[in-house]
Amino acid sequence: MTLVRTRPGTSSPVERGVPGRIRVISGITVASLALLFVALAAGSSTARDGLQVIGRDAGPQVVATAGLYLALSDMDAQVANVLVMGDGYPREREAATTRYEQQRSVANQALLKAFELSGDNPAERLTVQSVLDGLGRYERLAGQALLLDERSGHAPGPPPEEVVRSYRDATDLMRQVLLPQAYNLTLENGTIVRGTYDEKAFTVPLLRDAVVVAGVVAIGCLLWLQIFLARRFRRVFGPALIAATLATALALVSGVAVLGQDMQALRSAKSDGFDSVLTLAKARAISNSMQGDQSRYLLDEERADTYEHTYLDKSMSVVYFEAGNLDAYHRKVTTGSTDFLGLLGPELGGRQGKAALAAYRDFQATDVEFRRLALGGQTNEAVAERLGPVTTAFTAYDEALLKLAETHQGVFKRAIDAGEGALNTLWLLLPFAIGAIGLLVIAGVRPRLKEYR
Amino acid sequence: MKRVLGMPPAGLLAVLLAVAAVLVTGCGIRDQESILDKDEIVIGVRPDLPLVGFRTPGGGFEGFDVDVARYVAGKLDKEFTFLPTLAADRDDVLVDGRADMVVATYTISQDRKANVSFAGPYHISYQDILVRADETIKNVRDLEGRRICEVTGANAAKRVVEERKVAARVVPFPDYRRCLAALKSNQVDAVTTNDVILAGLAAQDGAGLRLANAQFNEQRSGIGLPKGDVPACEAINRAITDMYQDGTAEKLLKKWFGKSGLDLDTIAVPQFEGCS
Repeated sequence: MTLVRTRPGTSSPVERGVPGRIRVISGITVASLALLFVALAAGSSTARDGLQVIGRDAGPQVVATAGLYLALSDMDAQVANVLVMGDGYPREREAATTRYEQQRSVANQALLKAFELSGDNPAERLTVQSVLDGLGRYERLAGQALLLDERSGHAPGPPPEEVVRSYRDATDLMRQVLLPQAYNLTLENGTIVRGTYDEKAFTVPLLRDAVVVAGVVAIGCLLWLQIFLARRFRRVFGPALIAATLATALALVSGVAVLGQDMQALRSAKSDGFDSVLTLAKARAISNSMQGDQSRYLLDEERADTYEHTYLDKSMSVVYFEAGNLDAYHRKVTTGSTDFLGLLGPELGGRQGKAALAAYRDFQATDVEFRRLALGGQTNEAVAERLGPVTTAFTAYDEALLKLAETHQGVFKRAIDAGEGALNTLWLLLPFAIGAIGLLVIAGVRPRLKEYR
Repeated sequence: MKRVLGMPPAGLLAVLLAVAAVLVTGCGIRDQESILDKDEIVIGVRPDLPLVGFRTPGGGFEGFDVDVARYVAGKLDKEFTFLPTLAADRDDVLVDGRADMVVATYTISQDRKANVSFAGPYHISYQDILVRADETIKNVRDLEGRRICEVTGANAAKRVVEERKVAARVVPFPDYRRCLAALKSNQVDAVTTNDVILAGLAAQDGAGLRLANAQFNEQRSGIGLPKGDVPACEAINRAITDMYQDGTAEKLLKKWFGKSGLDLDTIAVPQFEGCS
């Protein structure tokens, strides 16, 4: 810029006249070309930064932390399952214990991944560390409860008081401290994505407009230079400068196209991909702790009301129907009304969504039966219902949600890949374009200047 | 033509700058204003709940919610003033703009979300039962056939009878003060509502009433915001995360409820609702 402004002021007597003019016009042309490429570089690196944050940091972090939540929640549910089995289900007990171990290993891996992805975000790192510490304590408490339970050798149903008390310490730690922290980590990534997207949605179009302005000015300058040379030297064509003009136009058009494509990629990655992935991750997390509440309802009679209420509360946050108690909710959800709010409200539109809703209804229908048995004092049958039909229905529902999430994850990944692909091509060609246009301008101007030596 | 050719570079620059200026100002308009854009905010707190949100004789405010409000406002770097806000006015002060934020044992619910937004929750509380010292009631089931007080306009007693389907005998009273008097004079057997409210009432009363620690019906107390203020909601959630990480939450809970009989063995970390 300073180059452009100082040129006329510094013109010495020698530079006056035609060669001086050529130098001035060439200088302005080169400056405007530089402006074009600076704007293009700024625009594309801003877009790349957005794709990086959304696509490579926050997106994977949502998956990692949601995986952490699910593994932790399932660990606690498996412990509760073992405790209500008593001495009646040796094979299931073995399977639940194995699953507990597997989920612990999944949780450990997810924690490592989450720690790695939290980068230099101090709050995220603290949270991951706090979960890591808490998990050690949880395992000790859960181990105590399991040991006491095994020694007591009770019939299927609620274990003895001391086992229940021991389990309470473990589950309180899990549900009131560890799970919320994992959940909030997932949410924090939603905040990061929204902030990044809003910022990019503001700056990228601005820089794209700057590219357009700089490009039009650069092309104008190139034409101005050619017209000037044509008049002064009575030549109609300067092939090198025409080529430079065309190359600049090409750089302008493709640069604007790539930035537009990237904006579109960011929008699609967020609105069609990420937002739904996050919502479904939240819904799966809440749903998973619902099925844990079913086992806890059965095993801790004193707190049964609390667990029934949290079950209702979570059901309502996932699929909301106005209902004063669980019976009323069951009636509304199983009659098949599709007019509902809650987390899943906007997600269950398409074919896959309808399948997920149907699976949710089936799951709630098994809950009706489960609670009927439990309230009727048929504890053994209630345990069988919980371990059999309820678990089957829940797994089907969870898989339906997972499928839906994978569809959105695919959209997300494709959008990020497309955005990065377009940028990579641009960045590959940009140095060549700069070099070629520079050489062409020199090739167009130097012979004319030589005529004055 | 000659004039065009001789167009001064300074003119070109001016055109460029002018275009850029138009672009910047044109795009600088935000969709919705956020309370984060204000230097000073008004926070609605309860004036009527001892230990939670209470107006002192000197005209100031004190309590757990009040301290939480102070901490959050500090994290947001805002000057603030308190607006005494009773339970029935919490939605209204946000909707008509008298308050920018409400920290007043404001339970997050789907119904309320139609009018206001919630950050948090900043605290998980439970519905609990306040009884006389010699009472054996331990659990909501034990209220069957017993007399419980219902404060007109509150839904706590209704939740026992309808939601929990416990056939308690509901005796109506106009406010908690008279409920407490009735409890002490044996006209009712229990008072039930949010545990922090009960803890405050019992502490103020000082006559040996005690909490049953029954902890049924989880209630999530959130920070009410004008509907749709996502940036403020996110900033407040980060402040709440800090409050739990730096130990302030535990300190405040112990400061206000440490001697009230409330179970503080596990400091429950609130699971956020999310801001969108």
